[in-house]
Amino acid sequence: MAVYIDINRCIGCRSCEVACQRVHGGHGHINVHYVGDYAAVPVLCHHCQEAGCTMVCFSGALHKEGEVTAFDVEKCTGCGLCALACPFGVVWTDKLAHKCDLCQGREEGPACMATCPANALSDDFELAARRARERSARAVALGGRR
Amino acid sequence: MIRVDARVCLGCMSCSNVCPSQNITRSEDSGRRTVHWKRCKEECDLCVELCPAKALSLVPWDENIPEPEISFDLVACRICGSPYATLPMLQRIESTLPAEMQKDASGLEWIRICPVCRRDVEAEGTVRQMVLARSRK
Amino acid sequence: MTKVLVPTVCPYCGAGCGFYIAVEKEKASGIEYMPDHPVSQGALCAKGNAALEILCHPERLVSPLKRRGEGWVRISWPEAMDLVARGLSQAKKKHGPRSLAFLSSSKCSNEDNYLMQKLARLLGSPHIDNCARLCHSPSVVGLNRTLGAAGMTNPIPDIASSRCIFIIGSNLAENHPVISRWIHRAKDQGATVIVADPRATPTSWMADIFLQLEPGTDVALLNGMAHVIIKEGLINRDYIDRSTRGFEALAEAVKEATAERTAEITGVAAEDIVHAARAYAKSPASSILYSMGITQHSTGTDNVQAVSNLALICGQLGRPGTGVMPLRGQNNVQGACDMGALAEFYPGYKKAADPKTIQYFSAAWSVHDLPLGPGLTATEMIEAAAAGTIKAMYIMGEDPANSDPCSENVRQALESLDFLVVQDIFMTATAQLADVVLPGAVWAEKEGSFTNTERRVQWSHKAIEPPGVARSDGEIICDVARSMGLQFDYPHAASVLDEINRTVPQYAGITRERLDAGSIAWPCPNADHPGTPILHCSGFNLADGRASIVPVAFRPAAEAASSDYPLILTTGRVAVHHNAGSMTRRSPSLISREPDLYVEMNREDAAALDVQDGDEVKITTIRGETAAIARLGDRVKKGVVFMPFHFPGTNILTTETTDREARIPEFKVCACNISRRD
Repeated sequence: MAVYIDINRCIGCRSCEVACQRVHGGHGHINVHYVGDYAAVPVLCHHCQEAGCTMVCFSGALHKEGEVTAFDVEKCTGCGLCALACPFGVVWTDKLAHKCDLCQGREEGPACMATCPANALSDDFELAARRARERSARAVALGGRR
Repeated sequence: MIRVDARVCLGCMSCSNVCPSQNITRSEDSGRRTVHWKRCKEECDLCVELCPAKALSLVPWDENIPEPEISFDLVACRICGSPYATLPMLQRIESTLPAEMQKDASGLEWIRICPVCRRDVEAEGTVRQMVLARSRK
Repeated sequence: MTKVLVPTVCPYCGAGCGFYIAVEKEKASGIEYMPDHPVSQGALCAKGNAALEILCHPERLVSPLKRRGEGWVRISWPEAMDLVARGLSQAKKKHGPRSLAFLSSSKCSNEDNYLMQKLARLLGSPHIDNCARLCHSPSVVGLNRTLGAAGMTNPIPDIASSRCIFIIGSNLAENHPVISRWIHRAKDQGATVIVADPRATPTSWMADIFLQLEPGTDVALLNGMAHVIIKEGLINRDYIDRSTRGFEALAEAVKEATAERTAEITGVAAEDIVHAARAYAKSPASSILYSMGITQHSTGTDNVQAVSNLALICGQLGRPGTGVMPLRGQNNVQGACDMGALAEFYPGYKKAADPKTIQYFSAAWSVHDLPLGPGLTATEMIEAAAAGTIKAMYIMGEDPANSDPCSENVRQALESLDFLVVQDIFMTATAQLADVVLPGAVWAEKEGSFTNTERRVQWSHKAIEPPGVARSDGEIICDVARSMGLQFDYPHAASVLDEINRTVPQYAGITRERLDAGSIAWPCPNADHPGTPILHCSGFNLADGRASIVPVAFRPAAEAASSDYPLILTTGRVAVHHNAGSMTRRSPSLISREPDLYVEMNREDAAALDVQDGDEVKITTIRGETAAIARLGDRVKKGVVFMPFHFPGTNILTTETTDREARIPEFKVCACNISRRD
């Protein structure tokens, strides 16, 4: 499981950033990037099946737990190798490493998903694709929007 | 006292973080990271155990041996130029990750760009088609 | 450790999202989302998520203060009340009650606003207003005239049922972010979205048709669309005949407004104008969402009426998925207006100039000598202070020194008052000019009812105590009233709501008990009435139930580009900040994300001035100059620049010219020049 993005819906409001930062004591794990003047999209941990961060972590702090790329802070020495091993730049070290933990400590699940005003984030991998397919079907049925 | 094998030290942040007595200092200035190991009489060996490169060892106290200090030029990001990592750390990543993981779909060697640029590249790639469509309207 | 979740209404925008404040050991320990909130469904924007950061902020006002030289000295509440009573009484005695002016707060609750306007009027002053004057006063004036009621006609979730959504002069993706989810739901069902804005914004990213018009040409665009709709026979003849008056005059007025002519004036391609007009008129349910881009003009009231005309000639009102939707900015600007904290209206929109209104409230309040209005509006109060006809002011939760145009004049005007008392939560630029400063409570520290942009009234509960000796605004107003010899006996906010139920017909059935069960949209004439989510379903609250179509002619903005000032400056907002920024600029999560005042420039304009992205530049208008960081891009067309007004400095530049009726300043258009600072 990971948090997936319907890129069509992101409005660049950065609510996910502030929420993630808030529930993680000041260290957020999601960053909204603006691409020119035409789009914004949050960048966050993919919980890769083959995760570079877990491969370089010599202490075992970063490891896979099923689908999730998990982090055991007790084992972390703050070396910084993990931050350099993430292709998406979404692992950080600041005395200790931190990364998206899918809000494990939060009963309701990921804060970013709950807070997104545009409803752009979800744990349903298929959602964005489904919405796009439904839109196309309706556009065809209605003879196109324009 | 701490002895450092400068041939294998990565210039990472482990020992300076874990030392409970602040005997190991790390500073960064104008694209250079310097680690300095002070003389210590401590009984612990956290820095030795928790060094990813096994570069440290403990030797008996000796006033005449100078305190080890190593400086690393931080490698510049290939996109934005900001210094972001020591070369030995990057080389460690490159020798650990499988070769096929080290280039992205467009052939970009992402290990040699900084985390901020990695996020930008990811963002741009994700929305490329949509940006084209929106800018045409 | 017991954690209590206290339901509150977000203190920021008019969407009125709810969230819980987690309280542990009498401190606010966190926020929990509210998944069953009808508008937000648990979502919360960046500002809402950061809301707790102002609670224990070191700069919170915690004690009443008295000016001493350039500094302040802490005083007790009794001393503060004594000073305030003396300051106001002296002015009243020497110069009459009409030398007193009151500014109420669209951030404060309905109860606070009701008390403030009652205080002003019982003291004999008709001069009471709130910052709605600077944002939606044209909607209050215009929509009351055309539709008989000023408020969003349909609720936000209803937008999902719309088949064509026309967003004009609103950047709701940044300023009312939760509305985006409802628009996307509509889009998923095949709806067409039209966005009209001089700037490309995240809102325009949602558009199927983007009309990038020149600032200040909205009436031209709307008349042009009306022309196309009439010419192509797309009007709703049946609706016009049944429910409106004045169509013939409009048809005549827009005869010359062809698509080509409109394209010349607005800079929008003729075929796009036609496209948008057809899409809006042909769709079975179309809604118009608008905000400051329509109102903050010297022709703001005209703009609003033009919007209303479009909806009326197409019959796009009174049904699900339709509507005319002014998106109100502040959490309680709708409520502040409903409560009559307005120069031209008593509570419930009874006209202040109507003797029958005076009769009604004289009976309701058991008093004589209520002042006949209209009073001075917020913008006029400042002019009058400068001219010396207003001698004393009581300002609550407003920052005219930052929010009003032409800051320099505002400062001088407030400084020239004999007595100024400011009630706020931070030492704002306006509070800096006061003789006495009173520390108020924020939303989490008091309870009361708040009315969002959908006319939805919600009760916000008290979570924690205010810091120091700060008090709830309602309590402070009652104290001031009592120090002036008035009998203001309201043990709690609920008792004020009781009186509101008795004196404001639209709120008659919105009782404290019912609000515990959920929100209610006014009008709600009695305790059994469910409230009125959709307005105008069966006619309009005007003569013979008909709406008024009021033709308006295009008039350009007051200031045009000139050789000295060749660029048009338009101002607006960004997602992480709110209005004058007194709260958001003090919130670390928010200020870190948008730390500086910037000016958005078109790349061509920047190149011509040798300005690069990130350069510090000087922006000048005939009124003054400000420095900002240049941000280059494609959001604005050549000749137009944009600045956010959350930072002091932007309003040094803006023009004081106002709309003739609504008295709103033309924040959206003025002429400027830009040069590099070095």
